[in-house]
Amino acid sequence: MSEHDLTFDAMGSHVRLLIGEPGSGVAPAEEAAERAREFVLEFDAALSRFRPDSQLCALNEDPRERVPASDLLREAVRAGLWAAERSDGLVDPTLVREIEHAGYVASRAGMSGLPLDEALREAPARRPARPRPERRWREVEVDEEAGEIVRPPGLRFDSGGTGKGLAADLVAGALRGYSRFIVDCGGDIRIGGADALVSPYEVFVEHPLSGERAHVLRLGSGGVATSGLNVRIWKSEDGRYAHHLLDPASGEPAWTGLIGATALGDTAVEAETLSKAALLSGPQRGRELLADRGGLLVHDSGRVELVGPLAVAPRIRIPSLEGTG
Amino acid sequence: MTERGRIRRPGPGAVIWGSIVLFAVLFALLTYRLSVGADPSLSGSASAAAQPVQVRKVIKRRVVTTIVPTPGANTVTSGPATSASYASGAITTSAS
Repeated sequence: MSEHDLTFDAMGSHVRLLIGEPGSGVAPAEEAAERAREFVLEFDAALSRFRPDSQLCALNEDPRERVPASDLLREAVRAGLWAAERSDGLVDPTLVREIEHAGYVASRAGMSGLPLDEALREAPARRPARPRPERRWREVEVDEEAGEIVRPPGLRFDSGGTGKGLAADLVAGALRGYSRFIVDCGGDIRIGGADALVSPYEVFVEHPLSGERAHVLRLGSGGVATSGLNVRIWKSEDGRYAHHLLDPASGEPAWTGLIGATALGDTAVEAETLSKAALLSGPQRGRELLADRGGLLVHDSGRVELVGPLAVAPRIRIPSLEGTG
Repeated sequence: MTERGRIRRPGPGAVIWGSIVLFAVLFALLTYRLSVGADPSLSGSASAAAQPVQVRKVIKRRVVTTIVPTPGANTVTSGPATSASYASGAITTSAS
């Protein structure tokens, strides 16, 4: 069972592809991996908030209400709106002004964040994040017939909340003819192929405080993603610790009692959405959000809590011969 | 001609009727004994009824588990990550 293994940098993260044997009439795995790499790089160039020449930046600066958009940009906006609906507004793609105000105005790829444990000591009282009452993402529409995105001029869109998951899902869609594959876009992962159902992939969950492996999942299909505070911690101009996961209601970094959340989903976009929503919701609501598909919550204390199907310990009943007389 | 030579063999009718009568008599006798509870085939086990009867029942229980993956859904098992299970180059999900 050989797999082609390709790793490269994109979207401010490492991307890794493992692709198994091709079906009949399907290109060799090496060729598919190279095509996938080119696609991810194009995806990054088109949808990065930090590239002034990206399609996303062009959309956000366009003064028209209706803006012609490529298939990829429309797909990204659709994914962002879907995530907002799925999370009831917690994963809000219209918080560009707020995230810039918090200090996240340029890519932090390659930058080491400040220590999370220090930030936790100085963080304000923990409370669950809430959706922004205006729910401005509902003002954004995708007009597929016209190939346009419709929104009030000045309302900026950020595909960052679902970007890596969407990239993983789109690459996975092109790998359906292979026996097994895993697409890892910076920790947002999509798995597929019939052989993966038989021999699942092992996916380790990194602990946000220690950096060690906190758990291992054996996955045969679907998506898994992790959100955490540990990789992007900085100090804002007023000297307070900040990170990139905002409470939509306040526009401020959310301190909810959780520092990490890993979620399973049908797709990487769903997993990414659920993991962000769970982390923003805090322990109680986070548990409810992950109860159906399963996941992990990492509390401020570092405690790892398994949720949903993962919390159910496997029960092995050994067949026995019973006799009487 | 000797005396022995005068002995007459029974005719076929006598043999047939004799057989039928003998069968009927034996059949009636056995039917009577069965009807009064004296089955001759069980006559030798009269004392066995007092012996304890050992009934041995063997139950074989076999648990069969079939996992049918739902299309589009994860199939997942999980466990604690031990250093032994970690290999370099492992796929890891983490915040990014």
